[in-house]
Amino acid sequence: MPLINLPAFAGELLADFERLKTLRVDTPVIQPAEPFLDMAGEDLRRRIFMTESETGESLCLRPEFTIPVCLRHIETATGTPQRYAYLGEVFRQRREGSSEFYQAGIEDLGDADTAGADARVIGDAMLVLANRLPDRRLKVTLGDQSVFEAVIAACGLPAGWQKRLIHAFGDQKLLQKLLGELADPKSPGVFGPEVERLAIMGILGDEESLVGHLAETMEATGYSTNASRSPRDIARRLKEKMELATTRLDKAALAVMREFLAFDLPLAQAPAALHAFARKSKLKIDGALSLFDARVAAVAKAGADPGLIRYRAAFGRPLDYYTGLVFEIEAEGAPAVLAGGGRFDRLLTLLGAREHIPAVGFSLWLDRIERAIAAAGGAK
Amino acid sequence: MTITIALPSKGRMKDDASAIFERAGMRIVAVGNDRSYRGRVEGADDVEVAFLSASEISREVGSGAVDFGVTGEDLVREGIADADARVEFAARLGFGHADVVVAVPEVWYDVDTMADLGDVAADFRARHGRRLAIATKYWRLTQQFFSGSHGIQLYRIVESLGATEGAPASGSADIIVDITSTGSTLKANHLKILSDGVILRSEACLVRARKPSHEGNPAIDRIISSVRSVL
Repeated sequence: MPLINLPAFAGELLADFERLKTLRVDTPVIQPAEPFLDMAGEDLRRRIFMTESETGESLCLRPEFTIPVCLRHIETATGTPQRYAYLGEVFRQRREGSSEFYQAGIEDLGDADTAGADARVIGDAMLVLANRLPDRRLKVTLGDQSVFEAVIAACGLPAGWQKRLIHAFGDQKLLQKLLGELADPKSPGVFGPEVERLAIMGILGDEESLVGHLAETMEATGYSTNASRSPRDIARRLKEKMELATTRLDKAALAVMREFLAFDLPLAQAPAALHAFARKSKLKIDGALSLFDARVAAVAKAGADPGLIRYRAAFGRPLDYYTGLVFEIEAEGAPAVLAGGGRFDRLLTLLGAREHIPAVGFSLWLDRIERAIAAAGGAK
Repeated sequence: MTITIALPSKGRMKDDASAIFERAGMRIVAVGNDRSYRGRVEGADDVEVAFLSASEISREVGSGAVDFGVTGEDLVREGIADADARVEFAARLGFGHADVVVAVPEVWYDVDTMADLGDVAADFRARHGRRLAIATKYWRLTQQFFSGSHGIQLYRIVESLGATEGAPASGSADIIVDITSTGSTLKANHLKILSDGVILRSEACLVRARKPSHEGNPAIDRIISSVRSVL
């Protein structure tokens, strides 16, 4: 098993990070496995390298840096705002390439100026990539989870459908499938015989009596009413499910959603296009759009070339902790994503931070950057 | 070349497997006394029999340490990554039937399909501060079914090596993935199987390790065709 050596440009990259006024941090290679599995889901288990401590605690080799950097921030109780930089090895089984490789990046924690911090992170990622690949045109794809959520909410769908669609953001195939189902519901939903019985008993429509009935049933069958889903959770979801089954999206609303998801245009043109779209479709999404506008303005002010950035409305990244901005950067002519990042305002509280800490960051795949440099003829 | 067949070392599985081999003209006798863990096939000097536990059998066939094994399909698919590439299910033997299923509390009136469960799982942490917990000993089958077939990734597995059906009532997990043959234990614990929640319909199988040395070996083909001929 050949070890990957530190990429030749690591020193220059770290110097860039320092000029960007970040604090370089290191985190232990051996990490508790729980936070990664909790945030990314059980699927990650097959891809990370796990072991156990003598006392039975699940441990793993660091599969990425965002969670360790955030955990370190919480543990050391460092104040915010704080901009961290990291460069180190991560361990993850990938479809192609070695299972141990280098990543570097910046995590910007606690800056209340959302638009400004977003723009700075995009600008920083573009800058450090341009410094490694001076002759290659960068291609930045930008998406926005919160604009998507605002459009979904403004279309007036029931809560259950909103959740399904939001959960599918970034997964093109799933999203198209859900829209298809919304336009043309094939199945009225599967309901068990109990639900029919409840309907006959006449308590299906009344939340309070339904909750009472569920609580009685749970007690009679030895289920605790608070360890897992409560009677009220079940009653509310049952109502949501009945709405899911009966909702049909009319042609006009479906066309609005499809029109939105088809947006793929230079970032500079996106604000005007989105405002025109909202006006024409009579959608109230001013809150999300004003943040979007502010970010576009801030990107230009931060000195990043907006001409290299495209906004794609359907673009998301497959991790459910992103809350707003998401982006990826490629170099023209190379198919691999060299940098990816986004905003994760909920992550620190989920990891145990006492106060709300907004956060945004990006990470770089150093092995792919190395290959892109080599392909460009060994230029700096 | 000596061919090794791994058979269950005790219980109904052992008796049923021996009966099929006997009908197929391969009477299995123990070497030494009755409780020996080694055996042979009467009249076939080139065949050895190893009596092992069912889960060991799946591991040994998976690694190619034995040529054939009789064990449950569930154990093979759970124990071996990419099972179909490494072993061949040469014959389904018609005993040891059991389904690996997703079961949730009966009182979850709003959950009857995997799609319902996906909705509940997506929302779970926001409501309960933790992921949906699944008690199971079937890690691999659960992951394949939940993420591979149904796109559900937001859950946690809680390992459970026994009395899994009791986990939801005791509060140590929310739902279970477990094996059931009649469904009576699920019912007794007030659990219901989702309408599309059958992960695998398992039964005892004659499983062959895919080894290059088996290519064109008439003794291998003979064992498979004799077993198939009596099913």
